Amino acid sequence: MNIVVLLKNAVDEAELRADPSGHPILKGAATKMSNFDKNGVEEAVRQKEEHGGTITVLTLGGADSKKAIREAMAMGGTKGVHILAEPEAAPDSLGTAYYLAKAIKRIGEVDLVVCSEGASDTYQGQVGAMLAELLDMPFLAYAKKVEVVGGKIRCEQGFERGVRVLETKLPAVVSVLSETNVPRYPTLLQVMVASKKAIEDVQLSALKESDYPETGFEVVALTIQPVNRKRLILEGQPEEAAKKLLMALKQEGVL
Amino acid sequence: MKSVLSYSEDVGLAGEVSAAGVEVANALGLEAIAIELDVVSVGLRPSGRVVLVQGGKTLEDDTDLAAASIVEVAKAKGSQVLLVGDTRFGRVVAAKVAARLRMGSLGNGKKLRVVGESLVVTRDAYGGKFLADVASKLPCVALVQPGSYSASEGAAVPVETITVTAGETKIVVKETKQGRQAEAGIKSATVIVSAGRGFAKKDDLLLASDLAKAIGGALGGSRPLSSDLGWLGEDQQIGLTGAYVHPKLYIAVGISGQLQHVAGIKDSKVIVAINNDKQAPIFQVADYGIVGDLYEVLPALTKLLKNG
Repeated sequence: MNIVVLLKNAVDEAELRADPSGHPILKGAATKMSNFDKNGVEEAVRQKEEHGGTITVLTLGGADSKKAIREAMAMGGTKGVHILAEPEAAPDSLGTAYYLAKAIKRIGEVDLVVCSEGASDTYQGQVGAMLAELLDMPFLAYAKKVEVVGGKIRCEQGFERGVRVLETKLPAVVSVLSETNVPRYPTLLQVMVASKKAIEDVQLSALKESDYPETGFEVVALTIQPVNRKRLILEGQPEEAAKKLLMALKQEGVL
Repeated sequence: MKSVLSYSEDVGLAGEVSAAGVEVANALGLEAIAIELDVVSVGLRPSGRVVLVQGGKTLEDDTDLAAASIVEVAKAKGSQVLLVGDTRFGRVVAAKVAARLRMGSLGNGKKLRVVGESLVVTRDAYGGKFLADVASKLPCVALVQPGSYSASEGAAVPVETITVTAGETKIVVKETKQGRQAEAGIKSATVIVSAGRGFAKKDDLLLASDLAKAIGGALGGSRPLSSDLGWLGEDQQIGLTGAYVHPKLYIAVGISGQLQHVAGIKDSKVIVAINNDKQAPIFQVADYGIVGDLYEVLPALTKLLKNG
């Protein structure tokens, strides 16, 4: 089975700082593989272990995305494809899905595309479904459990209104959840082997054709959200602190 | 004839999204149309009209059938902006419609406005630490976060029925394992007691639900408790990947305060944190904090509330 797993190398939001004007300091900011994507990689590796085949790790992102690709390859990926797009040239969801679809078509025969529910930094949850549309593949979204049997894929889908078991024929796109599996930690040996595997670089211009969807996407403003909280610590033994709290809440008018 | 469309499969959210739709439609001087699939589930709308789409099958059972139906309406009504309620189902449907119509889709919208030829959406960025204003040229699609707009009362509006030939879906439903869970009511609750990893075992959540009962609130929790441990329902999950809540009072118990959780509670009027780790980041975003053992603090609070 030929699997493609998608990942995003996201800004590590816990480490991200703002400059005095409140704008994020993105230059040189720490990045890491979006947490949810580790579940996607894990699912791809499990399916490959069960059914054999290859895993292509595919990403669109800046130069530092190589680190995340290497990590996914250490977990079990066969090869890497890196669509180079520095943050300032990053396309919107539809543009991202467009480039990923073009890259997947170049890979050739693909049975399964695995992604996660969304990226840790923006959490829009759009690219997977758009990609499925552009590849004309069925999309199994929010899969809690994935099973591939005899050319078909079956999964438990978790929507707000309940859990259902869905089935479709391969090829298909599936998005997994953080509870779908527990991502493995690669061994040192796997990390070393992965560091020697090939990663193919692809330029946006090599994929962009006349059918590219121009949406006029633009980031107009990006500023820190002020936290205006009192931050009062109520001291004392549990009963005493509890009393102080209830008094404060009454004064606030929220009790 | 051009219009602004709104849709959500969630009955509560549908009213909010349609209120957002009316606002955008007014800004553009266009008609607001609320889409309903299969049946009319929301009685009153702020203004405009309802387009009811019916096909041979239950359209709302499947994201492909829902997307195909909405694409039909968008084409027939010249949709300039399509607003969809931000749920898991809604996200998939919005993305499919946007891809089929080759329109931009802006996720996670908290506020919407029209600037020139574009829709500008305000949304959380980087786990909610930052706020971003992002724009897409009209026509486009945008998702509306629950709780961002209030569903105004409104009136009965005209209903136009469109019959479609239900599109194709390649996905077969083999089994329905679990129906809609009982509404825990966190989205509309005015007081929420929320539990995190500080609880050692599922039974201990009784301490939190006792407090919730005594204070007249609903019980919610951080993601690990619903997704990883299964101690709470998915509809009780609060944060970036769950529900955004905006109660008068939010009491975070045994929650460390990861960015993803904090993103969902920022609009609470008063935030209280109870945690035994005084370094926990939750104290940085709380109005009142108690550094202490939740196993002692919760019973003390519940007792005081019960004794009036």
